[in-house]
Amino acid sequence: MVKDQFREADVAKKISHVTFGVMTPLEMQQMSHLQVVSKNMYSQDGSRKPVAFGVLDHRMGTSEKDNNCETCGGNLADCTGHYGHVDLELPCFHIGFFRSIIVLLQMICKTCSRILLLPEDRKSFLDNLKRQLSYLQRKGLKKKISAKCRKLAKCPHCGSYNGMVKKCGLLKIVHDKYKQTSKNRDPVVTDFLTSFEFATSHNKEIDMLFSKTQEVLNPLRVQQLFKRIIHEDVPLLLMNPDVARPEDMILTRILVPPICIRPSVVSDLKAGTNEDDITVKLTEIIFLNDVIQKHRATGAKMQMIMEDWDFLQLQVALLYNSETSGIPLHMQPKKSIRGFVQRLKGKQGRFRGNLSGKRVDFSGRTVISPDPNMRIDQVAVPIHVAKVLTYPERVNKANIKLMKQLILNGCDTHPGANFIQQRDNSIKRFLRYGNRDKIAKSLKYGDIVERHMMDGDVVLFNRQPSLHKLSIQAFFSKIMPHRTFRFNECCCNPFNADFDGDEMNLHLPQTEEAKAEALTLMGSKSNIVTPRNGEPLIAAIQDFITGGYLLTQKDVFFDRGRVCKLVSSMLCGTDAALRIDLPPPAICKPCRLWTGKQVFSLLLRPNNDCPVKANLRTKGKNYSSGEDLCVNDSFVVIRNSQLLCGAMDKGTLGSGSKNNIFYVLLRDYGEQCIADALSRLARLLCPAYLSNRGFSIGIGDVTPGTGLIKAKEMLLDDGYTKCDGYIRDLENGKLQCQPGCSEEETLEAIILRELSVIRDHAGKACLRELHRTNSPLTMAICGSKGSFINISQMIACVGQQAISGKRVPNGFEDRALPHFERFSKDPAARGFVENSFYTGLTPTEFFFHTMAGREGLVDTAVKTAETGYMQRRLVKSLEDLCSHYDLTVRNSMGDIVQFQYGGDGLDPVSMEGKDQPIDFDKVLRHVTANSCIECRAELPLSGSDLVQLVDVSLQEDKFAECSDEIKEDIRNFIESVAKNISSTRKRFQMERKHTSRIPKVLFELDRITSSQAVMFLDSCRDKFLRARIEPGTAVGAVCAQSIGEPGTQMTLKTFHFAGVASMNITQGVPRIKEIINASKNISTPIITAHLETDSDAEFARVVKGRIEITTLGEVSEYLEEVFLPDDCFMLVKLDLDRIRLLKLEVSVGSIKESICSSKFKIKHQNVHIHSEAVLTVHPVETSKSSMYYVLQQLKKELPKIMIKGIPTVARAVIHIDESHGDKYKLLVEGDKLLAVMATMGVKGTHTTSNNTFEVEKCLGIEAARTTIMNEIVYTMVNHGMSIDMRHVMLLADLMTYKGEVLGITRFGLAKMKESVLMLASFEKTADHLFEAAYHGQKDAINGQI
Amino acid sequence: MAGVLFEDIFDVKDIDPDGKKFDRVSRLFCESESFKMDLILDVHSQIYPVELGDKFRMVLATTLREDGTPDDGEYNAVQSGPSRADSFEYVMYGKVYRLEGDDTGQDSSRLAAYVSFGGLLMRLQGDANNLHGFEVDSFVYLLMKKLAF
Repeated sequence: MVKDQFREADVAKKISHVTFGVMTPLEMQQMSHLQVVSKNMYSQDGSRKPVAFGVLDHRMGTSEKDNNCETCGGNLADCTGHYGHVDLELPCFHIGFFRSIIVLLQMICKTCSRILLLPEDRKSFLDNLKRQLSYLQRKGLKKKISAKCRKLAKCPHCGSYNGMVKKCGLLKIVHDKYKQTSKNRDPVVTDFLTSFEFATSHNKEIDMLFSKTQEVLNPLRVQQLFKRIIHEDVPLLLMNPDVARPEDMILTRILVPPICIRPSVVSDLKAGTNEDDITVKLTEIIFLNDVIQKHRATGAKMQMIMEDWDFLQLQVALLYNSETSGIPLHMQPKKSIRGFVQRLKGKQGRFRGNLSGKRVDFSGRTVISPDPNMRIDQVAVPIHVAKVLTYPERVNKANIKLMKQLILNGCDTHPGANFIQQRDNSIKRFLRYGNRDKIAKSLKYGDIVERHMMDGDVVLFNRQPSLHKLSIQAFFSKIMPHRTFRFNECCCNPFNADFDGDEMNLHLPQTEEAKAEALTLMGSKSNIVTPRNGEPLIAAIQDFITGGYLLTQKDVFFDRGRVCKLVSSMLCGTDAALRIDLPPPAICKPCRLWTGKQVFSLLLRPNNDCPVKANLRTKGKNYSSGEDLCVNDSFVVIRNSQLLCGAMDKGTLGSGSKNNIFYVLLRDYGEQCIADALSRLARLLCPAYLSNRGFSIGIGDVTPGTGLIKAKEMLLDDGYTKCDGYIRDLENGKLQCQPGCSEEETLEAIILRELSVIRDHAGKACLRELHRTNSPLTMAICGSKGSFINISQMIACVGQQAISGKRVPNGFEDRALPHFERFSKDPAARGFVENSFYTGLTPTEFFFHTMAGREGLVDTAVKTAETGYMQRRLVKSLEDLCSHYDLTVRNSMGDIVQFQYGGDGLDPVSMEGKDQPIDFDKVLRHVTANSCIECRAELPLSGSDLVQLVDVSLQEDKFAECSDEIKEDIRNFIESVAKNISSTRKRFQMERKHTSRIPKVLFELDRITSSQAVMFLDSCRDKFLRARIEPGTAVGAVCAQSIGEPGTQMTLKTFHFAGVASMNITQGVPRIKEIINASKNISTPIITAHLETDSDAEFARVVKGRIEITTLGEVSEYLEEVFLPDDCFMLVKLDLDRIRLLKLEVSVGSIKESICSSKFKIKHQNVHIHSEAVLTVHPVETSKSSMYYVLQQLKKELPKIMIKGIPTVARAVIHIDESHGDKYKLLVEGDKLLAVMATMGVKGTHTTSNNTFEVEKCLGIEAARTTIMNEIVYTMVNHGMSIDMRHVMLLADLMTYKGEVLGITRFGLAKMKESVLMLASFEKTADHLFEAAYHGQKDAINGQI
Repeated sequence: MAGVLFEDIFDVKDIDPDGKKFDRVSRLFCESESFKMDLILDVHSQIYPVELGDKFRMVLATTLREDGTPDDGEYNAVQSGPSRADSFEYVMYGKVYRLEGDDTGQDSSRLAAYVSFGGLLMRLQGDANNLHGFEVDSFVYLLMKKLAF
């Protein structure tokens, strides 16, 4: 009796699309079951019965258990409710369409209701409309047509004049029909105005009011206008006449929603009920309706009716959207209600709260705690939880015995069952009551037993914030006593969990299919590597690393008893019967001793039958030199799963590195192998080795020795003297300014650098002076926790406290704290803490420390909110992208974003190297080491033979699937290997001699045999084929998570120096935000300009002079006013030395030109050149001011005249690139990319800006795409995060694939996405829905909403 | 002698030149007398202290059995029969894992063999002809005995 396959069998119809539209009054009536007319909710006789034809009439459904629906007879659970309707006495504007109504009125003639388009325009637009237009195009076209219509004042159809239509106050529209301008001499207007002549003659004062006469377009009038719009014009308004006509946007009838969506709550505390906001609002509307009706019947004053009408309009508006703004004070509602719009929008709204995510059954939540005895794919579930979360298991031949036992156990004994559903009836029976024996006996195949969660069930385990897909993973459950969820510490990283009180959620999938799917897609074993960059996340952490480091030290020896005890600690759980082959001891005599490295090797390969033969050869954290013979024993060599030298540390055991031994296991031997190895590690190292050896920390560990104290004092003295020197230099004016900085800024920068260095040096001194057994030092060295800076802060010196990248600012007048002298620039007065946490901080130091600490706290708090929103936007814009079978990446509408994912169609998860699928070196080493013994008999290949063999093999059919790029890479790699072989052979002169005469040992060098070469190629092929992306992968979502998630980890380091001290560029989260928002004005735009001659500092200075702004005042010796008896003028004396020094390319002539072309409009004849250095400017008297004032103005303005440079470029800095041997380039602050590129001396082809918008404007969309990619990568790398290029590429492609740079914001998103539901679920829910209704948009259901 | 890969007498020239990094392990820098071989060797200094200037005989062999029958590479708790180790003071068991042309030396025909004795390293450097029987991935025993002057 197999369980039926899960099918969506209940769905009779599949929704193909959703059409948005506006309901006509007729449709409303057809939909409704009754007209609601009574303003009372309950009958007044105290029976608390809803009044008939009231808003709570039970014919519209029910909200109470004891009342059934009077229409369908269903009860609370069954009846979905029925609509009613209210007829409005007077029409009202629909608040959601109010803007559309105004736009529409602007588009039609207010006399004849025809569209304001010339016949030829009308025709061309109609032709346009005949094509199948996308939603975005329709929106664009509407804008175009409306712009065209607004230009036309005279209706081409009836010839009447149309003025401006605008909103005037709340829900009022006016038409500026009679506005008389000089151009507009329409006879209608003049007629209208002349008609008042008689009135004017009697009362002069009303004359001035005529210009303000306007026509009020009240809903009634608008309705008439809209009704008269001819059918042929409706498409030109971009409406779909089938689902929405213009007049439907004016409400004459409103639907009363079913009672079940606005239930009345009977309160226990006081008599009566609490009614829903909508119910209340509806009664108010009905009441106002009655009032208006009465007034109309009795013939009340027009004014009163109008007042009531306004009020009715407001109430109707509030019913739809209670956040309507601009309500006059006297009409303002006392308390805000929840209108329809409010129900939909926001995080708790219908879209985000109920459609995109909902609450679920079969889930649990409790505190987590660590348990190294759990395997990495196991989670311990408390019995309490297991008894509540059940799994419906179908009884079959294999499990009937167990199921019977479970039923007998019942609800309260652990492996038990809570419910049973027999196959032949649909009644669920609760097993707490009733005769369980009898039920168990009558158990049949096909019955469904809701049994308790048991060992081995697949559960989903999740921790918020769920920032990436690894935040929810599938584990096997293990039912345990006590009350916490427990799992192996190795799995902390993907969840970002710690055990300081964190809680996590657990879900139990309810079908076999769900279980299987969860296990393969979300299983913790299948998610060891992060898709962000392919690095392992599940790996040894903290104590495991410390343990691994200490165990694999060179001087760790065990006698036989100890080694056996240690090794046997691996035997547990599934490994209980594991055979372990103890190798011979490393030291046989004088006594038999095994080393820690031998024990560690057993962890990877416990016995000789084990197929795991991992290979690794990498530098450790403390590598010095000499490869294998590194004195710190920090060059790790693992050959065939044997640790031969080097101590394991964070790099080789921990997460975030591809040189991790577990990563090697995963790549070469699969996930089960790494799971086993990690589980063995977790049991062997921490509990068995480390707790036996002992690892603790005490006050002694942080007490500095005399050597350290002396070293610290010397460091401090040295630093202080230097700082004092700089301060003195400043006072004497001798301080050399850094480019683009003032003296003060320079001093700050130098001192801050000097003082920051002290802490780093103190850290190094700690490393030197502290004993090797010092626990904090050990942890820092092996990378398990803490850094040298932390140690230095504890033991030596806390260091400079920085607040937003600067020293402590003034909190008092001219000083940071009143304990210091004014203007003091001493280290201590500006937040340098010379004490350590051990010696204790002085009060002022402590205060500075809290200041910096507070900045950190504030920063984290702010950043979480910011990155959370950034993540949401990223996900929303990328969620519908996925890879397809034709290798393209498309969105849900089928638009192509990338032709091949990442340019090569490879999955970032399987990147072994940096953005490369195969690390050839590693593969070759692995293959040769593994097959060393088998291929002993073969002769090694010579270099040329190898190249030939590989060339031939790559032509074979089985390599046809591999891309040409990868084949080329293989060939290149093999050529480099062959070159090595050849050079070795040449050195030992092996070519010349006969084979038999060469010592055999020489063939061991660079040995590759032909079968090894073939194995290597096969392995490469295998890895490449495995690395291809699977069609259907949600590459977009993964990309969004990969970029968003590291954003949350970017802390504090907001600003960063970009080579030049004076040029700060925005970094961190603010910068990422700028890039993905596609901001037009970024905070630090910088143009990097390479020079045509980049090794010449002089040349760089010349070009700098051409770019940077130079004003006349800067190069003049003096400017003076000269008064002669017959003349007066400004005399400018140029400082020729200075001009020469600055390499400025200006002369008197060019300066004259600059003066004449400046905005002061000085004529050529008024500027006289007298010599190379002197020119005069003569003022000219104008009608507005006298000669004297003109001269004064000249005197003020002349120094500011720009004589050289690009306007708005305030600063250009020469940057010396030391990494490539003193190359000069220019960094230009500003946005004028085009101008800088065109400057002589600048290599235009190598000039870029960090401003995406500027680059797009100047170089085009492809350049903008590259800039986005480069900038994101640059920012991320600065924070030490690596992201696979493919993710960044996809994001950049999404931002640019429409042909313009679109930001990941609601504006950009609206231009990228077609789907209304998708847009509505992001932001501005109601706006999108109303717009879609206006357009009558058809939303196909294809994937993501 | 069967199974012997290399045998020579070495002079200890230097011990731990970069300072003693490990409590129980010292690194010896030695030179051989007859074959002019350079040797770097880590020894357990606690159970086998070696002084600067000491002279010792070192044998590298593939087996401890006197008759030269190959070793099976498995740990045997009980020793049986006469062993080559009997006449030596210090015996280690390890694996040749790397053979390399020596780039540093002037002499182009020099080779370097790396052996790891459970993490205690040995590098034997010298003429290729003296390292004749060395094979990567083969197990070797290192036997040492100090010589009296």
